Amino acid sequence: MIVKRFGPAIALAISFLALAAALRYAGSQGIIGEDVATRAVQVVIGLGLAAYANVIPKQVGGRRGSIEAETRAQAAQRVGGWSITLAGLIHAGLWAFAPLSLAIPASMVVVGGAVMLTLGYAVWCFTVRRSDSPGGA
Amino acid sequence: MSSVFKALADPTRRKVLELLRQRPMTAGELSEHFPVSKPTMSAHFNVLREADLVDAHKQGTTITYRLKLSVLEDALLGFAQTFGFGSLNDRPAGDPVPAPSKEIL
Repeated sequence: MIVKRFGPAIALAISFLALAAALRYAGSQGIIGEDVATRAVQVVIGLGLAAYANVIPKQVGGRRGSIEAETRAQAAQRVGGWSITLAGLIHAGLWAFAPLSLAIPASMVVVGGAVMLTLGYAVWCFTVRRSDSPGGA
Repeated sequence: MSSVFKALADPTRRKVLELLRQRPMTAGELSEHFPVSKPTMSAHFNVLREADLVDAHKQGTTITYRLKLSVLEDALLGFAQTFGFGSLNDRPAGDPVPAPSKEIL
């Protein structure tokens, strides 16, 4: 059960680490530039983040107690999925094309902002919207 | 992926997904928005379910549908809506009105 659930994530993490090590080695051997290795790893991380976030809204999970609760969960998942997917793509784009002096802070701001938006919207959905709904469900 | 494109090619099915964006709905609630027979709507629901775009939960004789779109599928839906692919007047030859099914609404 645990292997089935976390197996793909562990395999993806291992492939990320292997790719990062291979690119670092290629960089240290002068096969590719040092910053090319760093950029390539960050682009892969951004694309991986986007791919993972892409399926967030599809994880509908078990049934909830009411239609209102389902609606709030759906809204939170859609906002989270969209914001983190777009952040991952922007992260990859920044590391692929922007100067390093811009890519480093901008990518952190974009991904951090998306995570904050996701968490903030989820909290808002399950607190403010909950208390506004007629049944309070 | 072809099942997703097939599902999104039909304007009725796209409208169903648009409605489910607002909140989960029962088959009866969804059917009220369309001037088509219940067996036809049921066939549309089957296409959406086979494409894994909706999640269906049956309780007694009531089926409640939930949206189950990935971000990419959501973007494809928006794209198809914006450009009006497969409007009622230009339904693809290979995708006629779905055959009725025996599912209870």
